[in-house]
Amino acid sequence: MQDATLSGPTPADSPASSHPLAPGDRDLASIIEHATHYLPSQGPISIFVHHNTLHSFEDLPFEEAVLEGGRRYRCEPYLPEERYHHELARGRISIDDLRQVLMDDLDATADELIANFGTRYSLRLAMLQMTLHSAPDAELQWLLAETKLLKRFQSQVSLARRDQVISATRNWIIRGRDSGKLPPIVQTLLNENSGSKPATWNDDGWEAFTLNLLWRVCYDGIDKAALPSEPLRHNDSLNELMLQTCGEDIDAAVNEVLIRFCGSFLDQGFADWSLPDREQGFAKSFARLYMQRGSILPAWMRCLRLEMSSIANGEFSPLDSINESLAAMGVDTSDRIKVEDEITTTLLALRGWAGMIWQTETNAPHLPHPIPSGSLHEYLAIRLILQRHALADAGERHFGTRNIEEVRRRVDTELQRHTRRGVLPAFRRGPSTSERTYVLFQLAQSGGWTPEQLTSMSSQQWERVVNEVESFGSLERRRIFQLAYERHYATATLDALSIHSQRRREQVSLSVRRPAYLAIFCIDDREESFRRHLEEIDPECRTASAAGFFAVAMYYRGADHAHYRPLCPAIVTPQHYVREEPTFSTVNLSEKRAVRRRRIGWFTHQVHAHSRTLVGGWVTGVFGALATFPMVARILFPRLTSRLKNSMGTFVRTPSSELHLERIADEPGQEPDALGYSLDEMADIVVRILQDIGCVKDFPPIVVFFGHGSGSLNNPHESAYNCGACSGGRGGPNARAFAVMANDRRVRRLTLERGIEIPDDVRFIGAYHNTCNDDVEYYDLDLLPRTHRELFRRIERNVNETRARNAHERARRFESAPLDLTFSEALEHVEQRSEDLSQARPEYNHATNALVTVGRRDWTRGLFMDRRVFLTEYDPSVDDDQASVLTRILQAAIPVCAGINLEYYFSCVDVEGYGCGSKLPHNVASMLGVMTGAASDLRPGLSQQMVEIHEPMRILFVVETTPKNMDTIIDANPGIAKLVKGRWVQVALIDPSTSDILRYVNGRYEPYVAESSDLPEVESSADWYRGQRDHLGFATVTIDHDSSGD
Amino acid sequence: MITLQTTFQTLGTAVIVSPVILLAILGLSGLFNRALSEGSISRLTQAAVLFTLLPAIVILFLMLATGIRYVPVELGNWVSIPEQDFHFSLKFAFDRLSIPFAILSCVLCGVVAEFTRRYLHREEGYARFFLFYAVFFCGMVWSSLASTIETLFVGWEMVGLSSALLVAYFHERVNPVRNGQRVWSVYRLSDAAFLTAAITMHHLTGEGDFGGLMSSGVWPEGVAAIEPGQALLVGSLLLIAAAGKSGLFPFSGWLPRAMEGPTPSSAIFYGALSVHLGAYLLLRLSPIVAVSLPLQIMVLTLGIITAGCGAVMSRVQSDVKVSLAYASLTQVGIIVVEIGLGLYYLALIHIIGHACLRTMQLLRAPTIIRDYEDIENQIGTRLEHDEWAGARMLPGTIQRWCYRFGFDRGFMDIALDKYIVGPFVRTMHWCDRQEQRITDWISREQSRESEDIDLHPEEMGRAA
Repeated sequence: MQDATLSGPTPADSPASSHPLAPGDRDLASIIEHATHYLPSQGPISIFVHHNTLHSFEDLPFEEAVLEGGRRYRCEPYLPEERYHHELARGRISIDDLRQVLMDDLDATADELIANFGTRYSLRLAMLQMTLHSAPDAELQWLLAETKLLKRFQSQVSLARRDQVISATRNWIIRGRDSGKLPPIVQTLLNENSGSKPATWNDDGWEAFTLNLLWRVCYDGIDKAALPSEPLRHNDSLNELMLQTCGEDIDAAVNEVLIRFCGSFLDQGFADWSLPDREQGFAKSFARLYMQRGSILPAWMRCLRLEMSSIANGEFSPLDSINESLAAMGVDTSDRIKVEDEITTTLLALRGWAGMIWQTETNAPHLPHPIPSGSLHEYLAIRLILQRHALADAGERHFGTRNIEEVRRRVDTELQRHTRRGVLPAFRRGPSTSERTYVLFQLAQSGGWTPEQLTSMSSQQWERVVNEVESFGSLERRRIFQLAYERHYATATLDALSIHSQRRREQVSLSVRRPAYLAIFCIDDREESFRRHLEEIDPECRTASAAGFFAVAMYYRGADHAHYRPLCPAIVTPQHYVREEPTFSTVNLSEKRAVRRRRIGWFTHQVHAHSRTLVGGWVTGVFGALATFPMVARILFPRLTSRLKNSMGTFVRTPSSELHLERIADEPGQEPDALGYSLDEMADIVVRILQDIGCVKDFPPIVVFFGHGSGSLNNPHESAYNCGACSGGRGGPNARAFAVMANDRRVRRLTLERGIEIPDDVRFIGAYHNTCNDDVEYYDLDLLPRTHRELFRRIERNVNETRARNAHERARRFESAPLDLTFSEALEHVEQRSEDLSQARPEYNHATNALVTVGRRDWTRGLFMDRRVFLTEYDPSVDDDQASVLTRILQAAIPVCAGINLEYYFSCVDVEGYGCGSKLPHNVASMLGVMTGAASDLRPGLSQQMVEIHEPMRILFVVETTPKNMDTIIDANPGIAKLVKGRWVQVALIDPSTSDILRYVNGRYEPYVAESSDLPEVESSADWYRGQRDHLGFATVTIDHDSSGD
Repeated sequence: MITLQTTFQTLGTAVIVSPVILLAILGLSGLFNRALSEGSISRLTQAAVLFTLLPAIVILFLMLATGIRYVPVELGNWVSIPEQDFHFSLKFAFDRLSIPFAILSCVLCGVVAEFTRRYLHREEGYARFFLFYAVFFCGMVWSSLASTIETLFVGWEMVGLSSALLVAYFHERVNPVRNGQRVWSVYRLSDAAFLTAAITMHHLTGEGDFGGLMSSGVWPEGVAAIEPGQALLVGSLLLIAAAGKSGLFPFSGWLPRAMEGPTPSSAIFYGALSVHLGAYLLLRLSPIVAVSLPLQIMVLTLGIITAGCGAVMSRVQSDVKVSLAYASLTQVGIIVVEIGLGLYYLALIHIIGHACLRTMQLLRAPTIIRDYEDIENQIGTRLEHDEWAGARMLPGTIQRWCYRFGFDRGFMDIALDKYIVGPFVRTMHWCDRQEQRITDWISREQSRESEDIDLHPEEMGRAA
């Protein structure tokens, strides 16, 4: 965990190609290296680690990064404006939030007057509150001709305002007509309506007249104002230009070939027949495949064969080839910027697959079929060759030339022809007068601007207004909305924390007592409700939390596992190997069962693999009707089926097991003697965790560690639901290992030397909590002394009750679970969910996460936080002066929680671009990732089903520390500094002894003034959430201490 | 016997009509903008499946009990043109072929509908999916029970239509729509062949009834009442139809592309029912196949080639769904071979078993990572792939060619694009250019300013 902050991609210090690099090559290699930062950093899907999607932009502040990233990946930076309006309407954003945020944002310029329409602040606020629709010319023509745009005021304009504007206009017209002082534009309109006299018009007539006049006045004003038209956007990518001008999609053609090839090249053992010559690298195997005689090539690849055979038969240097291709495509290779641009665009054209090649090549040593290093270079070389051929072919068809530079020239001419007529969307000028008029027209209506006011404006004033309106475009508005959205939640949170911690202080005498037992969980947001319910059920217990690998960073292999799997955060490379082994007395029985297991596995595998073949398929096909029974059972009665399956499973499961945890050899390794930890290392781990959770004395008789994971079916992203601190693995073994270490007397002697005395009557127990079906299992119970059994039974009872209540609270978010479930029905419901083959939402994972508290549980205990918070334990009184405990906690918590939160943020704001879209058509490719449908780019990120209830907002850290300590930590850790200073996360500090809160704003700590002094009090969590589906506010759960003894 | 007759008639009508009622309710509610809730849609679907399945099972038992082997159900003569010798009547038949197939359709449709109920929960297109699904269900029941070629065609069309629409279910993305159209165009080709075959049959026998075609006996003992030459003509047309529908060689190109829809629709269409419909057609018309030896040889050859191609293609694919699609194809090929050999019962059993197994596999496809992990854990080592024995026997160059063949999915799509679509498009472009030249000449200026109009002006609205 020491290098938690150095989580960036490792620089490619080794030249990837075996050829000696010419200086130009080294340059090119570094350009490619640089471009790889933009590739998604998600590795194989079976080890899913949450990352900040825009990790490579972390050097920029958040607001700039989302725009820059959005441009790069063509994704949305924020939610769509309608969604914010929706949130405004349902109270997740209040007008007050908008006011505050806008005021802060404008700062000194808020009061600047804009023509005679009030201040900038009021204009912007008005723009935020209305739905401002913008329409292109073609649509406007239709709107003007076919809708009531010029006949009725918009429905969002209040009746009073409408009447006011109409009557003002009427008075003005009638007065002006008599005195003959109306401006010419009004006169013209009156003349057009000369058929009837204004005096005889009814209300509707006046409404239509007013709107018509308003439109014309706006149009006129804007027309006269000297407004800049945006310069032409120039896009260098030839592929893009070809698509725009000729409708030729070069990328699509190239992608079709490469998707299939990358799939075969990267395949981790799905296909029966693996790619020939795969070991010779990407380029050679591709070349050999495509130079194959007797095959039909698509028309655009017809000249490819020659080039392929020279690659296949000669020496191939990918960098030379890339240079060559770039030159042939008319890219000036001496211009670094241009080359960089071209390479990045080319890599990002299929960024999922390219990213997976890069990850497999650099970052995934444990794959069954690794790929040679340098594959990405070769991929790029091949891609450029293909692009060249596709371009040449398209050029031949459209312009009669295969010379790409010539094609580029012709495309440019074509482009200018189009641009002159302004028909291509990407190359058009700024908004036209009508489009601008439309925006102002809407603003005028809702702002109650009368035509009279508008006619008196000078053209400078018009210019001012239009510029002002355009400077607050959709992106800016959404930025403000996002800030308001975050502010709304942050205010509610900080208010609640301040009130609640005060309430807790008042009853502090109650928590001083030594607790009956201690339960330690992962900091995961899903455990918040579990802890809260456990504390409600048994007020005498205490809960705490630590990152769910419990400082046991290991490669772990279970008794029935085929290989080792890392169980620690992705940024740590474990040194230790741990195996689960059958206990000595059951070795024989266990071996028998292992044989049984192997037989079943062999049989399943045969059926599985051979059902796809000719003969095997025939056999399985003819007897396939037997498959109907499991299928029908699985789909119609998932829970029953899984129970049946589980009870059958006892015949093959290892009867009893223990961890091989103690190392004999000096150095850790995979050999039997080298497995495990030395006693010293164990003591370090134990001390570290006990310090982290602030539990160094007054131990209760039993301390239970709960690791967590999640099991679900039909879910390629299953690993993403597991413990994030175990890099997508299940944290049970970590809890078990920790308990074994802490129970060891020799380890305890060593911890005593380090200042922590664990008395003999204190026992540690490891447990595993499945967050999907809320099942809990305990490890090594046989080792529990008789004296502790009674207490354990009590814990077990409490936990069982907690499981049901936790399931109940979770079930409220599932639309398919009725709101009136009882606790035990809810438990059944979630059990069913986890075993249901057709369930696209086994659980909601980290969705809705928005908060991290770092501090003692004391001041948050009993606060209903709606499963939105990562509760990190930290006791300042155990810490030293340099805040080294807090430092190591934040080193892990900030990057990890921010990674989870930001991945959710980006997948939520643009689920197709940053996320992986809907889960329904997902197709597992190469056992490494998912494609959408039959063939697509690999889709990293989270699915629509995972984020649908999420509220995308930057996570708020509330840390129990002083500004001085926080500053020291920020200064000493560049990784944390980037996230905090760049506003990727929000930070606030709390002092629970006074409930004072400081907010970190632009490098300073500003005292937070509570906005409300009101926090509901309820008797139990269930009273607060019962019958509610939506996000819930905070509430204090008052635990009744008298009724707790059972 | 009267009562038995009416019982059969009533039950048979129930089987045939309940899918239609479902379709009507789902369709009309959409048409009149009365959106049904997810719950009611799925309950309606389940009810319709049950009301189709239960009477079918009762009929089966009654037939077993009474020894009756053929129960016709007529739903009126809808069109009759005596002078043209044409009449269109809705006739259905329950016999040893249609009942198992209909029951299979019901069971799979029911199970997959139950699966979809939860899988598509909260999905915007829920109602749309189930509407298409009802079209499909109706089509399957009708085509499996049809006893005239026109009725079969109606069901056949419904299956094709719903299939293409469900491939394009995610219509906001380009690929599904494009692939849906590809599927649809191949289907149209096979429909054309089917229709030509139907008309030919009418010319030959004066009606479209299978009964008339097979003058004696019920399936599978029927003997076709037409000449071998005629049988060859009708049979080859029907073979084209079946090949298009089941994705047999050389139409296999669309099969992987059909994997764009939600998993359950892929499962039931391309793993189970739709893909077997071509084979079912051949089974239904097996007496015609039996009459003509050349036809039999054609069927056999087609089956062997398809099975071979499918096996190679399936082994090479690296993604689950496409691999399973080709695995299905392999078995359909074998089923066609069985039909060619006259092993009709075996083919029927094979269809049923294969459909069930493949549906299960496709529904489980997203779980493949976990399944493999489980298997690895049970075996205790990484899964070893033994090199394919069939490939090892071949010389190296042929091995490579086979891989290449499988990799490019038999070159079928490429060939289609290159040799059929390409020239066609070029010809049309040429015509277009000539036309423009002529209109330019007539109007003495650049004509067709409409081509310069911005096609999607609404897209810039996002940028504002």
